[in-house]
Amino acid sequence: MTSEPLTYVLVGVIGLFGVGLYALLTVRNLIKVIVALQILAKSALLALVAAGYAGGVVQVGQSIAVTLIVADTIVAVVGLALAVQIRRRMGTLDVGELSSLRG
Amino acid sequence: MTAILLALTIGLPWVGGLIAWWAGDRRRRMLLGSAAVFSVAGGLASIGLVLNSGSSVVIRIALGGAFGDLTFVPDGLGVFLAAVANVVGCLAVIFSFDYMRHERQLGRYYALVLLFIGAMSGLVLTGSLLFLFFFWEITAFCSYALISFHNDDPKAVAGGVKALIITSLGGVGLLAASLAIHANTGSYDIDVFLTQAGSLAPATLALIAFGVLAAAAAKSAQVPFHTWLPDAMEAPTPISALIHAATMVNAGVYVLARFFPAFSPVPGWQTSVVIVGLVSALLAGILALAVSDIKRVLAYSTISQLGYMVAAIGFGAVLASQFHLLSHALFKALLFLGAGAVIHSVGTRDMRQMGGLRREMPFVRWTFLIGALALAGLPIVNGFWSKEAILEAGLEAGLLWAYLGLLLGAGLTALYTFRAYWMVFEGAAATPREVHDAPSAMRISLLLLAIGCLTSWLLAGPFGRLLALTLPFHALHPVTTLELVVDVVSHPSTALALFVVFAGLACWVLRARLARIPAVLARAGFLTSSDFGFEPLNKLVVRLTNGAASWLGRTQTGQLNWNIAGIAGGLSLVLAVILIWGS
Amino acid sequence: MIQLLLAVAAIGCAVQAVRSGRLLGSALWLAGVSAIVALSFFLMGAPQVAVIELSVGAGLVTVLFVFSIGIAGDEPVETQSIVPRLVGIVLSLAASALAALFVLPVAVARAPTAEPAFSDVLWGGRGLDVLLQLVLIFSGVLGVLSLLTEGEAPAHPSIMVREVPKELAELTELSLEEERR
Repeated sequence: MTSEPLTYVLVGVIGLFGVGLYALLTVRNLIKVIVALQILAKSALLALVAAGYAGGVVQVGQSIAVTLIVADTIVAVVGLALAVQIRRRMGTLDVGELSSLRG
Repeated sequence: MTAILLALTIGLPWVGGLIAWWAGDRRRRMLLGSAAVFSVAGGLASIGLVLNSGSSVVIRIALGGAFGDLTFVPDGLGVFLAAVANVVGCLAVIFSFDYMRHERQLGRYYALVLLFIGAMSGLVLTGSLLFLFFFWEITAFCSYALISFHNDDPKAVAGGVKALIITSLGGVGLLAASLAIHANTGSYDIDVFLTQAGSLAPATLALIAFGVLAAAAAKSAQVPFHTWLPDAMEAPTPISALIHAATMVNAGVYVLARFFPAFSPVPGWQTSVVIVGLVSALLAGILALAVSDIKRVLAYSTISQLGYMVAAIGFGAVLASQFHLLSHALFKALLFLGAGAVIHSVGTRDMRQMGGLRREMPFVRWTFLIGALALAGLPIVNGFWSKEAILEAGLEAGLLWAYLGLLLGAGLTALYTFRAYWMVFEGAAATPREVHDAPSAMRISLLLLAIGCLTSWLLAGPFGRLLALTLPFHALHPVTTLELVVDVVSHPSTALALFVVFAGLACWVLRARLARIPAVLARAGFLTSSDFGFEPLNKLVVRLTNGAASWLGRTQTGQLNWNIAGIAGGLSLVLAVILIWGS
Repeated sequence: MIQLLLAVAAIGCAVQAVRSGRLLGSALWLAGVSAIVALSFFLMGAPQVAVIELSVGAGLVTVLFVFSIGIAGDEPVETQSIVPRLVGIVLSLAASALAALFVLPVAVARAPTAEPAFSDVLWGGRGLDVLLQLVLIFSGVLGVLSLLTEGEAPAHPSIMVREVPKELAELTELSLEEERR
């Protein structure tokens, strides 16, 4: 509950965002893709709570963050279930080989 | 009350469509029942709406800043077209019970027909330009889906794709016009635009006017966008009656009529409209003489009659053009459904293999004859009065060349109409065959439409009043039915027109003596078979579009990482744009 | 100061999660990121979401990851990236830098004004959100159940494709040809 500048938190937000985006661009393992999505979500959560803190309305920021946690966990759950099924049916988790939606 | 009727007019067909889709082929009785009930209910709701019309907004749904309000206004122009769409749609659905009896995947068919009817009602009733475009595109999609209903027939699929590409390219004109209107007036509302049209920069207004003209010409199959309509005849015949005669192609004429007060001051616009209408009327009239497929004759005839309506708007006679639109919807639907009955029982669309059907199909013969008289413009039937009104308007507008051209077109119309009637019903049978008259579901639709053709001209007075009272921007001057009758009967141009029509008839009756003319013209046959050069041009456009699509398809690599790269690149671009140009 | 350390630590854990050779390692580093982020929440005066994040992010999600890695297997996958690494670095740097230009100027923290309690805000002010979360959870559960049921689901005949026995198809074709003309 201090009022120190938020710059550091925002540095964390940008950093996590960049790492998550880079990961999405370069990893080939499907489960790692889900990890990258989680990292991006953490950066969004930090940004939300930080914005609430900066505006003096932490409770609102928290509420929205809770919604995001729920949504994002569902994404992870369904994504992992998908990954398991893909591993069973296609035999591989390599995103490079899972490319049938081709033009 | 009006709001409920309006919501029912659009909503009942859509609900019916959903139920039909769900019922599918497995529950055929529910399918046919729901299609019948909902289309008839929609028809009744639309007629109720006609009796309750007004010029103010009855439904307004606020959708936030970017989209404006979704408004629906039951003014005369909208309600009569909605009524036409629903009533003719309901008759086409009833006709389809017998016509499509042996087909499969009827769930898809009826669902699309009902979706189309609802979308057409929405198109003409909405007061928001953005949603007009939205409904416009829905009707284009339904038209494509129904033309290529027999999706294992390559000709049907090609016809559907061609219709979709041409009408969508025209739709770009409408979208550009809507965006320009929004940029200049701050709102998508049509009435706001009509009020402020005078204060727009002339160049902008001209751009909007010609964009809308292009979109209307593409949708209503006018030259140079007319080649899709004859190929759309691969659709099942009730679809041709509904979409390509009575409703969708009228959307272009509707849009021109709706925006007429705003665009009439634009220099050259009205003349361009007259030229487009005139050329279409004559070109299509000539082409109708050269084909032997009965549906193609009717398709060219539709293009030609739409040309009359478009030209009438160019003359400034919005009331006459809408009146002819009403008559045309009725008699063209009648002709198409009659042709459908013939095709269904004889099994071919080629008129050279028909002939003498008046003996075996008397019911269809009489109803088809009524429709043919209306198309040719002979007295008593509704087509006569509306066509005369248009010709008189041409004379009064002072455009003698247009008047003479349309007059010649009237003669051509009589000629090809009676050629078609005679080849199908009179003379000797070309091949021995076993045919039967139309079954009962078809007869209901044919009878109702024939009665409509005989009597709709009596509604001229109330019709004119309806439009004049509810369209404050158009400054229309309605006349009562009696005044119209007296005016038409006593005007000298009527006598001239009747003379030309009978001359056209005479040409057919005396064709043996005039046999040299067709023989000479046959040498120029290559002109008509390539549609005066428009067909190769359109083929080129379709080929280019498909080529561009397959070339762009290469960007879809299917690789997740490249897709994300696209997202990241797009994000950076958007952020950069906001940084540079943002406040 | 503490926040700076936390931020750096979080970024470090995230980098390790991406770089780790084994999937299990990635999941554990992700749990670390969760814990650090939860601590940061707590220091900003948001204890409720800190607890939720800790239990869900560092707890539930990690368990799920471990579970599915156990089922799907931890075999190494080709690490040669499809998008060239340079393009990846440039794009992510560009997007982050642009986002930073928007976000970093908001640096001053204000003293918290008098606010209703967290539970009031959550159930009262954001009640719709809670409803949507319920719907989400429900659909997520349905999704997972349908995904994980054993056995081949029968291929549904596509609406647009006719599948009929061959003889019937030929007969139908003939009669349809006639009627279509």
